[in-house]
Amino acid sequence: MEGQVATFLASALLVLGLGTLLSRRNLIWKLLGLNVASGGAALFLVALGHRPQARPPILGWGPGPAADPLPQALVLTAIVIHFATLALSLVYVIFLTEHRHTQDVPKLEREEGG
Amino acid sequence: MRRGAWLATLTLGGLIGWATTGLFPRPPLPPWEAVTSQWGARNAVAAVVLGARLYDTLLEVLVFSMALVGVRWALRPLPQTEGRPPVAESPLLERAADVLLPAIGVFGVYLAASGHLGPGGGFPAGAILGSGLLLLALARGIRALARELPQPLLSRLEYGGLAALIVLGGGSLTLGWRGAWLLVLANLLILAKVSTGAWVVLEHFAAHRGEV
Repeated sequence: MEGQVATFLASALLVLGLGTLLSRRNLIWKLLGLNVASGGAALFLVALGHRPQARPPILGWGPGPAADPLPQALVLTAIVIHFATLALSLVYVIFLTEHRHTQDVPKLEREEGG
Repeated sequence: MRRGAWLATLTLGGLIGWATTGLFPRPPLPPWEAVTSQWGARNAVAAVVLGARLYDTLLEVLVFSMALVGVRWALRPLPQTEGRPPVAESPLLERAADVLLPAIGVFGVYLAASGHLGPGGGFPAGAILGSGLLLLALARGIRALARELPQPLLSRLEYGGLAALIVLGGGSLTLGWRGAWLLVLANLLILAKVSTGAWVVLEHFAAHRGEV
């Protein structure tokens, strides 16, 4: 049950992030949407490792089934990668803003064509 | 156009939700207790991240370092902005930073050093130390803090930590090093790497923020 709530929340975050990524025109909004979507993906992976009445996968933390540690380890590395790639892409947004004085994607593409 | 995009993502989310309804109950767990005690750890996530799937973590730290090199390198041709960032100064913030910072530092190092025994590890500890540095930067001004911090030591910590991590990983993968000392050392090195990386990103973003 808890796993299903988390899965539902994860798909809601994914929809919110991807919708922002597709519908906004500003580059920074797009990157924020992408980051929210990646948070949803991380939550989805952690929710997949959940078992009914599961405890954290730490030895000596009581009886009962444990959550799967593998998705948690994967997500731990993925979060740091999200942070690093978000920082790098924001750097290129700074670069674009400094040179083209806009963050509007259709405007940037129009200037590219003309 | 915008409505179509939202419709498409809503359909995608609905498909994902519908597809995951059949995922419960889940397949049985792998023998994680055996793997965890083989590495001398109690936290299975630490044993997986720093033991059984060390290749993943090493490559991830490499990607992290490459992104930081990219941040430094791409921002170099841009002009630097002088003066304090537009943050309201308040004595409350400065006192709070003075009081909280030792606790944040101790807690971060504790989380990294005990990450193989309980919840914690190098990555969250590095994020905690990085946010402690952010608090200090908000209280004192980023340029002043950058002058106070020893820059050569920081870059030595960053690259030396990366090199030591690669040595540790190579030893574990080829020579079969095992044990809790490996996990503790790797967690502390990751702490150094992630916290200095967070500081590098913070400082470069503040130095090149431009005029609003």
